[in-house]
Amino acid sequence: MRIVVGQGSCGIAAGAAKVYSAIEAVIGSSAELTITGCIGMCFLEPVVDIYDGETLVKRLVKVQPSDAAKIIDFVNGNADAVNDIEITDDDKDFLLKQTRIALRHCGVINPEKIEEYIADDGYKALEKVLTTMSAEEVIEEIKVSGLAGRGGAGFPTWFKWNAARQSQGDYKYLICNADEGDPGAFMDRAVIESDPHNLIEGMLIAAYAIGAKEAVVYVRAEYPLAIERLTNAIREAEEKGYLGDNILGTSFSCKMRIKAGAGAFVCGEETALIESLQGERGMPRLKPPFPAQSGYWYKPSNINNVETFANVSWIILNGGEAFASMGTENSKGTKVFALTGKIKKGGLVEIPMGKTLRDVIFDIGGGIKNDAQFKAVQMGGPSGGCIPAELLDTVIDYKALGATGAIMGSGGMVVMDESTCMVGMAQFFLDFTAKESCGKCVHCRIGTKRMLEILNRIVKGEGKEGDIELLEELCYSIKDGALCGLGQTAPNPVLTTIRYFRNEYEAHINDKKCPAKSCSDLLSYAVVADKCRGCTLCARKCPVDAISGSPKNAHVIDKEKCIKCGACYNLCKYSAIVME
Amino acid sequence: MDMINVKINGKEITAPKGQTILQIAEANGIEIPTLCYIAEVKAYGACGLCTIEVEGIPKLLRACSAVASDGMVISTDTPRVRQSRKIALELLMSDHTGDCKGPCSLNCPAGTDCQGYVKLIAQGKFKEAVELVKDKVPLPASIGRVCPHPCETACRRKMVEEPISIAFLKSFAADEDLKSGDKFMPEIAESTGKSVGIIGGGPAGLTAAYFLAVKGHKVTVYDAMPEMGGMLRYGIPQYRLPKEVLDMEIASIAELGVEMKNNVRIGADVTFDEIKNAHDATLVAIGAWKSSSMRIPGEDLEGVYGGIDFLRSVALKNPVKLGKKVAVIGGGNTAMDACRSAVRLGAEEVYVIYRRTRAEMPAEKVEIDEAEEEGVIYKFLNNPVEIIGEDGKVKAVKLQVMELGEPDAGGRRSPVPVEGKFETIELDNVIMAIGQKININGFETLELTDRGNISADTETFRTSLDGVFAVGDATNRGASIAIEAIGEAQKASEVIDSYLNGKMIGYKKPYVSEKIVTAADLADREKISRAKMPQRSPEERIHDFNEINLGFSVETAMNEAKRCLECGCHDYHDCKLIRYANQYDVKPERFAGDKHDCPKENELVYIERDQNKCVLCNLCVRVCDEDVGKGLIGLVGRGFTTVIKPEFADRSVTEFCKTCQKCVNACPTGALKTL
Repeated sequence: MRIVVGQGSCGIAAGAAKVYSAIEAVIGSSAELTITGCIGMCFLEPVVDIYDGETLVKRLVKVQPSDAAKIIDFVNGNADAVNDIEITDDDKDFLLKQTRIALRHCGVINPEKIEEYIADDGYKALEKVLTTMSAEEVIEEIKVSGLAGRGGAGFPTWFKWNAARQSQGDYKYLICNADEGDPGAFMDRAVIESDPHNLIEGMLIAAYAIGAKEAVVYVRAEYPLAIERLTNAIREAEEKGYLGDNILGTSFSCKMRIKAGAGAFVCGEETALIESLQGERGMPRLKPPFPAQSGYWYKPSNINNVETFANVSWIILNGGEAFASMGTENSKGTKVFALTGKIKKGGLVEIPMGKTLRDVIFDIGGGIKNDAQFKAVQMGGPSGGCIPAELLDTVIDYKALGATGAIMGSGGMVVMDESTCMVGMAQFFLDFTAKESCGKCVHCRIGTKRMLEILNRIVKGEGKEGDIELLEELCYSIKDGALCGLGQTAPNPVLTTIRYFRNEYEAHINDKKCPAKSCSDLLSYAVVADKCRGCTLCARKCPVDAISGSPKNAHVIDKEKCIKCGACYNLCKYSAIVME
Repeated sequence: MDMINVKINGKEITAPKGQTILQIAEANGIEIPTLCYIAEVKAYGACGLCTIEVEGIPKLLRACSAVASDGMVISTDTPRVRQSRKIALELLMSDHTGDCKGPCSLNCPAGTDCQGYVKLIAQGKFKEAVELVKDKVPLPASIGRVCPHPCETACRRKMVEEPISIAFLKSFAADEDLKSGDKFMPEIAESTGKSVGIIGGGPAGLTAAYFLAVKGHKVTVYDAMPEMGGMLRYGIPQYRLPKEVLDMEIASIAELGVEMKNNVRIGADVTFDEIKNAHDATLVAIGAWKSSSMRIPGEDLEGVYGGIDFLRSVALKNPVKLGKKVAVIGGGNTAMDACRSAVRLGAEEVYVIYRRTRAEMPAEKVEIDEAEEEGVIYKFLNNPVEIIGEDGKVKAVKLQVMELGEPDAGGRRSPVPVEGKFETIELDNVIMAIGQKININGFETLELTDRGNISADTETFRTSLDGVFAVGDATNRGASIAIEAIGEAQKASEVIDSYLNGKMIGYKKPYVSEKIVTAADLADREKISRAKMPQRSPEERIHDFNEINLGFSVETAMNEAKRCLECGCHDYHDCKLIRYANQYDVKPERFAGDKHDCPKENELVYIERDQNKCVLCNLCVRVCDEDVGKGLIGLVGRGFTTVIKPEFADRSVTEFCKTCQKCVNACPTGALKTL
């Protein structure tokens, strides 16, 4: 038997490394112990799989180091030893309802062993391309597949490859954008940590298609495990002859290296990424010229995102048509979403295009935590927008999502319930983009700052009549005038929240109320005398001694002193504290 | 060379292939605003001002980088483009801290460039200084002597010790110019063939005459009095403004070809319609020449005079007869002129009766003091209620004693009567200097305001009659100071010029950036006393009407001018930012919020950098890198907090700066300055 501990960053954060050590300490010779990457079930981490040969016999979830003995007990023949930590049928659905292409090896193979990748048809697509296909045929296959850029913009991949191929130049570069910066998105990290060879293979096929001799992966330094595993994978691939000169004995040569980014969100924008690669300050360039004409070191370059590359080997092996058979008229294949927020089952979800948001959030994600009311989902991170409950049946498709004011984006999906203030949410994202603005263009540098200031005053109850209109005017002007995608999309969270939740803005401005009861400046706490038993707990726990009263008598909150921390509200056993 | 055809704003243009839209537009005289573009360095695209629309392309393009292609249909001035530029400028101005102009200039009703001419005086360039003054005020020798100088009231030097003596510096420079034998004379534009009739030869009428003549129009000034000058001649005593000085300045205006007709009273000698019909445009600048009445018993007694009537009689060298005891009623500058004239005419006891206290007197403090030096007796908190007569002549005045009550809307404490408390003083004459009113005789066809003044539009100065404009004391809010009338006349002359050219453009107050400066900001300035104007002694001067001020010496004037703090931006006249801000009518206060607040830096030894004015066009950085090849400065920080600093915030790199000044020259605003 083989015990496999899921060791993606998220699993490790949940305790997978300690679980691994605990098992290692007691395993003896009863079974083999190894690791895999991230299976994408964040809500069940740490996950431990037990295999008999190639057959998965048990999937154990939320495993604690103290469960190590049980696991060994099971391996040694006690069939019921791990029943209490085995995944439920309901939770199994989380994976069964998905269609995995980009994530197909994630949580299945050992990312640190190239042999496991090769054993699962790894590098077969590269071999097929190098030995049987011309570059044009590769591009054609990608065209047939309908694959579009998964990083956010959704631009047809074949078109970019073709432009770079057609571009005149003695030396061309292939670049992988692994600067996954959207808060709440982590599919690229999962791919690199869990299936680095799939990325390398996809990139090599692209390099062959455009005629690049050098490939660079620009990965954020905040992903140390991804960098470590990719570094290892590049070394392995070089040793096996998949990277370097005369790959697989053909005339195709390509080298690959990693560049760690220093953590600026704007470096996910392709031209800012190139500037950063060149050692310059990460600021976007003017387009045109596009990178296909003048990119890295002003040579023809092609940049795709990790998830895009992760689909390539599958397409080559299964054919573009197989990929295109999934999805909708204008969006083909599958898309990975990072489901987070107030969702029961958070994690990575890969589904064919054409499913609805409801499918993802309720069918796969299991609905809202604590069975609260679904309010909205933020799609596409700070560049995206929120989609309200009444649009839950929106089909996942570039066009349909775009029509809501949100975007597909890189696949971040932050689920919100009724306790989320939509003005506060917009403020959160604007705070992010304003700080991450590179400072180059006026509309973004000062515009997002001014938008943030207006939002700040609204959530403080200092909003003025006309602020909504002023925000809208700024939004449209920034979308029109900003230099790059960061600025052009920064207003989206504000525009969509105004579009769908204008009443919340008005309540903050006109009535000085936060309907979600989330903005502390607009809240006040009071004791309902009838319900208060005079237990004195609140008075004792209040950090600023704002609550007074004698035992067994109703207490009173001094609103002048109260700092609205909510401690009393959360502590009271008799629901005697109200928040208004 | 390969050529392409494009259409810009409907105009067919053939241009070389490969040029940007901006290059093609520039070559064809189509202006596209830019802040971050100069030809010497690569296009950068930060300022967002050069955005344009191209048919078939949904996004706005940046003209600085977008290469034109054959058949492109380009629009550079659509509502969408203008909105985008306007917002960019408003955002920039919302984070731009600096003074475009000094407070002196901003507070001057005529907008004279005080800082500019003070600096020229400091450099000894008196003629140039006069030239700059005459850009707004054609009577600097006269006005410098009499102006209550709102410029000095606003001068920030008073937070160090005392304001710059701006007004006297102006008259000093003008005097120097007049006596130089090579006085400044403006260039006159080619004759337009249009004629303008100006009614009233006071400061307003003369100012308009000057500027309209310079623009090539034929100007005729009609005045009811025997000589030109209006209130400058007939309202201000000789000891403050010698008429010889005024005559020289009027002569300079006449030399421009302005025809001056005196002794022409509208309604008596000629009708308003006749003048109106004789010219393409008419300006009414008749002033306010009627003394206001106090509406108390005894005003018609012999020996009671109106303040300006009294001054006029003195100026006409036909002074009214005064007894030994004279009271002047009122606390304004006319009251001061009247009481001091009365002293000079030999009155033995001269009182100034004012219903509030010294602190509330609207007259200039220096005048109040000088009058006192000359023996004038102030009776504050007294209000005349009756002039008592005997045999039809003034015998005494009965005064109600007052006290100060609650402040009024303007913040001045209102006088209220102390019940039953009166005082009577024996007098021979009473001069009522409590205000002036317009005499509308002859102009009945003009629409009036509620106050009985001529109604004139505040932007175009148009009256109710087509082609007739009006300015000065006779209009709207009534009498004010001369420089106010001059300011209106200068602006009106621009409007009239545009009217004569077929498209009237009203005056719009230009938008400027202003900053708040406190005494703490100026704490490090060395204290240097304000130059004292040498004067004749009171004992000597009360016997005649000769000028009491003796004038600055060249040295005193130049030293005084050097005290100027130079508040206004050195780059105001070349600043692209403020030019565009006005072109696009910005309202940056909509976006008021955090601003950069950085100290001025001069790590680049001879170059001072003011981050608070910087628009982050990055031209200095790029010029230093791409053009000069040094790369000594760079961007530091992100987002709103981005600033320009020595590269990597390392001051030591700056020792390589050779002060080539290319960065300073490239800066589109006043953020960089050569020291």
